[in-house]
Amino acid sequence: MTDQLTVRGLRKRFGGVVALNDIDLAVEAGELVGLIGPNGSGKTTLLNIVSGYYDADAGTIAYDGTPIAGLSPHRLARIGIGRSFQVTKVFRRLTVLENMLVSGLSDWNETRSVATERAMAVLDDLKLTRLAHEPAGNLSGGQAKLLEFARIMMLQPKLVLLDEPFGGVHPELKRFMYERIREWNANGVTIILISHDMGSIFGLCRRVVTLSYGDIICDGTPDETRADPAVLEAYLGDRHDAA
Amino acid sequence: MNRFVSMRIAGFAALALGFAVLPFAGLSDYWIYTVTIGFYYALLAASWSLLVGYVGRISFAQAAMSGLGGYASALGVIHLGLPVGLGLLAGVAIAGLVGFALGWLTLRLHGAYLGLTTIAFGEILRITVTAEHGITEGSLGLRVPALISGGSRFDYYYLFLVVTAACLVIMGLLLRSRVGLFFQSIREDEDGSASLGVNVTLWKCVAFAVSSAFAGLAGGLYAHFVQLITPSMMSLQEMGIVLAMAVIGGFHNILYAALGGMLLQVLLEMLREVEQWRLVVFGLVTILMLRFAPNGIFGTLIDAVASRRKRHD
Repeated sequence: MTDQLTVRGLRKRFGGVVALNDIDLAVEAGELVGLIGPNGSGKTTLLNIVSGYYDADAGTIAYDGTPIAGLSPHRLARIGIGRSFQVTKVFRRLTVLENMLVSGLSDWNETRSVATERAMAVLDDLKLTRLAHEPAGNLSGGQAKLLEFARIMMLQPKLVLLDEPFGGVHPELKRFMYERIREWNANGVTIILISHDMGSIFGLCRRVVTLSYGDIICDGTPDETRADPAVLEAYLGDRHDAA
Repeated sequence: MNRFVSMRIAGFAALALGFAVLPFAGLSDYWIYTVTIGFYYALLAASWSLLVGYVGRISFAQAAMSGLGGYASALGVIHLGLPVGLGLLAGVAIAGLVGFALGWLTLRLHGAYLGLTTIAFGEILRITVTAEHGITEGSLGLRVPALISGGSRFDYYYLFLVVTAACLVIMGLLLRSRVGLFFQSIREDEDGSASLGVNVTLWKCVAFAVSSAFAGLAGGLYAHFVQLITPSMMSLQEMGIVLAMAVIGGFHNILYAALGGMLLQVLLEMLREVEQWRLVVFGLVTILMLRFAPNGIFGTLIDAVASRRKRHD
């Protein structure tokens, strides 16, 4: 296995607050990694740097062995890094299908008819076909999360960064999303998943990375994470028993 | 082609035909002249709505861009001896380039900061034109060669009609293309748009450039039609009128904004007797429209007809 994503010495400060403190992280192609930690531990900052939304103060990032630090978000999306957002960023006044087409047509080699065909297939897979011509603003919170998934799938990414995809999602829909995430991963897509939902993290991921105050305090299997005293103290407490 | 698109094309064709036969409905020379100026405002208001309504980028420099196109064309013809057609093209190109630069300058600005910067930019252009008296004749105004030498009111009317209709078709095609989809995705959410591979920086600049280029064309046509231009066509008051036209017509749709331009130009002439009070009334109507009917007169009317038809179906 080769590294899909390699982060070395990544550092980021916001004024006096250290968001990331010399982070080293390597994620192999095909892995499904959970990223956990208390609020303000640096999870979303890490995702924002990898996906090009923030510049790091120091450190290197390589994707498939190629340095990507400093590349803009749209370039990273086009080379195969897809991401979702904590608060969904669907285009509310565009229809569901148009939302999908933005993703497909940002590749200038793709024609509208091919993009439409692909979009409808993805929507069908996510059971959104009947909403294809509905403005995205009319979707429920869970449906909007699914649409974000669908738009990322349109990019045909190799690495997907999911930021709290299960927030406010009905348990049944959550299970449906689990299946899709597993299916993506089984098809070779590398996934980094941020969630405060420990049931989801420990149920889906074979590897869990824990951040606290900008440092990685644990990097191991779900069992190792659950048993790690530093993780218990900083984040889990006794809540893993419930999970 | 779906029914909705067919209806819109039919509606647009009917409107164009209506304007084509209008001069034969007994319009006086004065009203033919007024409606010709109405085409200028229609194009200018549509170009503004392309930027504000579809890309979500506010600009108060649109009247200045129109003036820039007008002065560039006029000066090209007068000082460089360009044929008028080439002068117009030069005006379009210069307005487009300056628009691109304004887009780049304001890339990271939003809301009030963006608005204020575009006001400052427009004022810089207007004051420069006013101050460079030796070249532009300043506030006295610049005499501009005619677009059609010896052209009649009819010639200008039909030329403006054809150019305005053609520009609206080009804008419509652009907005229906993938570029139009990128524009709207940027309006909805810039970060979300970039995460799907859209080059937000580039398309924001392109939107400013395209919108300014159409404004520049409008200004060039106006200058060579009226044959006298002054820096007042670049003023904030003029910008306010264009804004009112687009908002009252419906700035989320280029055609509605264009119709707003024509409607207000006609009303401005009809209400000439009340002088500056008509601007007060238009200002009030604009505020009320933004509060109660943000889709404008035409947008609200057509939505009402569509929902009524839906209920009947």
